[in-house]
This record gives sequence, structure tokens and C-alpha cells, in this order.
Amino acid sequence: MAGLPPHSRSKTLTATMIAILIGAVAIFSFAVLSSITSSSNNAQASTAAPNQRRFKGTRPLVLDQQTGQQRLPNQEEVEEVIATLSVLANRPENLPETPTAAGGISVDLEGGFGGVMLGRPNADGTWETKCVFTFAEGTEFLGLVEDNSTE
Amino acid sequence: MKKKQSVMKIFVMFVALSFVGLSAGSIFAAEAQFVIVNINAPGVGFNDPTPAAPVGGNTGTTLGEQRIIAFQHAAAIWSARLDSNVPIRIRAQFVALGPGVLGSAGPVSVVRDFPNAPIPATWYHVALANKLAGVDLLPANDDINANFSTNFNFYLGLDNNHGPQNDLVAVLLHEFAHGLGFSQFASLATGNLFSGFPDAYNTKLLDLNTGLTWPQMTSAQRLASATSFGRVVWNGAFVTAGVPNVLSLGSPEVRVLNPGAIAGTYQFGTAGFGPAIGNPNVQADVVAAVDIAEPANPPSIPAPGTTTDGCSPFLNAAAVAGKIALVERGFCGFAVKARNASEAGALAVIIYNQAANVNAAPPGMAGDGINDPFVTIPAVSLRRVDGLAILAQLGGTVTASIGNNPLIRAGADALGRARVYAPFPVVGGSSISHYDTVARRNLLMEPAINADLTHNVKAPDDLTFELLRDVGWTFPDADSDGVPNDEDCNPNSNTGPTIIVGGIDTGVANTLFANGCTMADLIAELAASSSSHGDFASAVAHLTNQWAADGLISGRDKGAIQSAAARLRS
Repeated sequence: MAGLPPHSRSKTLTATMIAILIGAVAIFSFAVLSSITSSSNNAQASTAAPNQRRFKGTRPLVLDQQTGQQRLPNQEEVEEVIATLSVLANRPENLPETPTAAGGISVDLEGGFGGVMLGRPNADGTWETKCVFTFAEGTEFLGLVEDNSTE
Repeated sequence: MKKKQSVMKIFVMFVALSFVGLSAGSIFAAEAQFVIVNINAPGVGFNDPTPAAPVGGNTGTTLGEQRIIAFQHAAAIWSARLDSNVPIRIRAQFVALGPGVLGSAGPVSVVRDFPNAPIPATWYHVALANKLAGVDLLPANDDINANFSTNFNFYLGLDNNHGPQNDLVAVLLHEFAHGLGFSQFASLATGNLFSGFPDAYNTKLLDLNTGLTWPQMTSAQRLASATSFGRVVWNGAFVTAGVPNVLSLGSPEVRVLNPGAIAGTYQFGTAGFGPAIGNPNVQADVVAAVDIAEPANPPSIPAPGTTTDGCSPFLNAAAVAGKIALVERGFCGFAVKARNASEAGALAVIIYNQAANVNAAPPGMAGDGINDPFVTIPAVSLRRVDGLAILAQLGGTVTASIGNNPLIRAGADALGRARVYAPFPVVGGSSISHYDTVARRNLLMEPAINADLTHNVKAPDDLTFELLRDVGWTFPDADSDGVPNDEDCNPNSNTGPTIIVGGIDTGVANTLFANGCTMADLIAELAASSSSHGDFASAVAHLTNQWAADGLISGRDKGAIQSAAARLRS
């Protein structure tokens, strides 16, 4: 999974820069969705749209490999988590129903509806875990909040 | 992409043992075959060539191999517990999921109204539907989708000796269970059933407030039920039968005894410092603590404290002494408040959420490493609405208890049914598709992976397997004697109606023992282990004498068996 190009925090982005940014986010999101949701096996592109909202981290989630210290996730890491949760914890409604050859009706869950195990570090070096089923549960546990500061 | 086109490498991990029942009409019941479909590209994930030292029984020599072996191990544990004649295909990969995301698994599809479906118009996880139908209903698809993180430093050993690390095998057992049937599909945002139909899991959810199961409810009722802490139970026979063997007596609870207007049990959070709830049980009147309003000191302290936050020594210590102190969250750490309550002579302290957390769940309260040793009383947290409800009644007397109810098992209701996790608010934690966090012992399918879990998924260590049985799974039982193969003293018992010795039908009923062996099995074992006919006849005599003494057979039966054994000489 490729990293997400960092979002500019400048309010003076040019139209070109914005276009490049949107394109990069779109490419990244497609890569994430393709990687995770191709399990639906039906040659169908996922209908789960990547989350377009901007989030920021409010609590340490990362154990820095160089310093050994816990730190807040940077914006690229936040976007990676948001992209992951947008797919794995997605619970779309009105998914198409398909008859099975042996009888019965099936629905492809498009990579969503799974339990997502999350972990956040404690001060003593242990990890607190929680299995969530929705995007909101996931962001709440990981301390990711919507960031409207640049809008 | 069709799954079989996308498969880069398949690891067939556990070949089902094809035990065939001996009695007429027995059902093929063998260990489910799990197939891990490795979709990682070369050099990454399962194929990561980074050298790794063997750890905890995991003999892989690369990181990728060790991940594969851990997957195989977890799948083998489930394979030993579940039977199916349709292989269960887990499409799996290790990829970067971002910090804080360990991994995920869930069903690829759900199916309803398939051949042999136990309940019509009800969704089933596809692996379970395949098992019940006896055929692969979606042969072009995998059954479980599993994504795990390359970012995360899992313990990859198989021996559960994980120390402070997260045990990958335990996480896999948990997530695989969600993929096998331990999850429900109704929306927790709207309460609507998935595509208008219930599922095999939520048909077993019973709301104690309404007396209704989830399929019987309206969407609004389901929404309310999902946040009814302690009031949603699993209404399944196998789990309920297992509860007394797994959950211990002494249910932790915070209960208001009076006034009647607010009496009842309350959702609460626990503290990581001070004595545990129930050590000791406390019953006392509640008194709101009063302290000074601490001044602000920007920038480190941008806002002042309040007279209700308990962050300074209590001004009404004399009134609090011997009572349960009530303080508001905020301004300082939980342990500071609990220390001040302890030093005021309170018997326990309740900390309720402040306005900034008006809709938050009662928090788990971490210590600060400084004040923790000075906390000598139990501390619990409450939702803000509950704290304010108590506060509003303090013009009169409010009596509460904080402790363990010795009559109720921790994690069950008064009737011994396992509680399902239904916290308020929903976003506070993983509602409904887990067991309640108050369970003791800790269970695999609580929202968190607790450090004291075993890798045994059934009673007396756990209740996950029992729940999967309630939704339709059965266990491998080659001889259909009701004893799982791996616990059966003879998985292929002679289950004939009478004991036959050397071709002679004794006419004696062939009793099945609780351990899965029959009388005929035990006599056959004697025949196999005896070095001579004399030894055999003597051993049979000894055994049948004991059976007669135990009242298992009559004297006439004993004679018939011994006679047949003796006649083998000729």
C-alpha cells in the first residue's frame, strides 16, 4: 500500500496544486480499496467511497522506531488509517442480492462488515486493543477527530 | 476478480479426517478443512523473506513463514472444533493498514433461504451456510476475508507466551470467529435489519427491557437495545449451558438502591489503580464532594477547576467520610480525585463524566503512577447523565452499592444467560457482536484481547464455540456419539446396539459412556492389548465384574459377556 501524499496545510493552494492533490488522493484511495476489497471476488469495483473528510490524530498511536517514543500519527499515517477503516469497517446498505445456483439468495459484503482489531499504546508499553465494527467506533478509539482547521 | 484466478498461492492447512460413522444413517461429521488463500505478492506479507528466529513453537525461519504458521495454527484450532464437508476458504494478506490497526476479518458474503437453512428468511455467514447446505453455495468466492497489518509487531509464537506483545494467534481466533458467525448485520445507526432480514446471530439476542428478540423489534427498539448496558443477553442453549463452567460468581455492579426513582444498575467504568470492585463490597450513602475551584494558570492550565471536580482536598471531608464520594471528571487525573476521596475517608468514589464528555461512555480510568499508591478505595466512572441523576437526588438520601453481586455470574444475567456488550454510546465500543466486558473469566470474544486468554475456544475456558453451536455449527463427531473427536476416547466407537465378542452377540446392551467410549470399545481394547486368551478372559471378567458392581449391567449380562469371551478359545 503506497503512502498518501501529504496534504498541504496552506490556504493559498493554487488550482493546479489542488487538482494534483485530489488526483493523488484518488489514486491512493483506489489502491487501498483495490487491495482490501477485491475479496468480494465478483469482479466488481467496491462501491465504498473513500472517506473525504480530513482527520487528525489526538493521541499517540505510533511507536517511533528511532527514538522508541510514542508519538502522534502524522497526517500521512492518519490518512492511511482512515482509508483502511473506510473499507474494513464499512457497512453499506442496499447491497445487491444475487440468487445462488444451489438455491438461496446471497449478498457480497464488499469487504466490509468485518471486525477490525485496533490497538493503542499505553504508557507502560502495553497495548490496549478493541475490536470495532463501524468507522465511528474506530476513529473514536484511535483518537482521530475531524480537522476543520484548514477549511 | 474471481478468487481462483486471484490465488497466487494456496496453503492447504488441515486435511479433514474422513471419519465415517459406523451406525446406519450417521452423518458425515469431520473436521472442517481450512484453506488459506495467500494473496500477497512475492516478497511481502506472507512472503516476506526477512530472517526470523523461531519463537514460541513457531518454526518459521522468515517473517513470512512465521505469519503463515500462525495462521495455520489458529485455523487448525477452529478446524478441530468445527465440522463441515465444504472447505472454508480464508482469503488472507498482510498489508500496511496504518498505525493502530492490527487486522480484520469477516465474512465475504451472507446467504439466506439456501437448501437446509434452519431458519427461513435469515442471513447466515457464508461458511456456515455452506456447512448447513452441504455444498459450496458460492463456489467462485472465498468465505472469509482477512487483512492483517505489516506495521504491527505481533507475537508470532504459538505457545501463548506473548508477554506485553499482542498475540497474533489470539487475534486470529477472535477475528476468524467473526467470519464464521460471531457477528450481526443490523445497522447500529438506524436499527434496520440487513436487507430487511434478521441474521442467525441476532435471532439469539434477547432484550431484557422489552422481552423481545431482535427480529421481533422495530428498528427504534433495536437502536435502544444496542445501548442497553447489561440488558441484552444471548438466548442460546449451548452458551447458557456453558456459562456455569466458565463465568465465576460475583458480578461487578454499581447499583443505586434508593430513592426508587433512580434505583437500578448503572453502566460503569473501572480504574487501573486502587482496589478492585468488590474489595471490599461497599454500600453507603452518596455525598457530593466539594473542593476549591482551582485557578487557571495559562498556558499550562488554561481553564479553572470547579468545586465539584475533586482535584483538591475535599472541603467537606467530614461529610464524605464513611460515604461514597461523588465527583465530576475533568481538570485533573482520575487518580488525583480518588486519592482525595481516600484521604477524606470515603469508602468508594464515583467519578461522572463532565460536560465535555456528555455523550461519552464511562471511561476506563488509567492511573498516573504518582497518586495511584495513595488510592485505598474502589473507584468507578459513570456516564454524565447518570452522575447528574444521582446529583439531582442528593437533596435527600441516595444509597448505592459498589461491589460484586455474589448471586450472579460475572458476564451473565440473573438467569445465567451470557450478556452481550451493549454500551452507551454505541461508538464507545463495539456493540452487540461481542460478549460483555464484565465477564470473568475473560472471554475471547470480548471487544478487547485480554492478556490472560488461552487458545482454547470452548468451555471451561471460553464460550466462543458454544455460541457458534447456537447459530448452527456442529463439531467433528465421526461416530455421532455426541462427543467431539478430539475429546472422544474412541472417535470411531463401535456403536452397535449390543456387545458382540468374537462374533458372538451377547445380547447385552452396548452402553455409551460420557467420555465417548462404548462397552464394546473397551472389550475390543482388552482384546488388542491381551497377550493370550487367558489374559483376555481374565481382563474381561475383571471389567464386567466392575460394571456389575457399579450397576451398569446385570449378573446375567455379566455372565453372557464372560461366557462369550471364554468361548473365543475354541
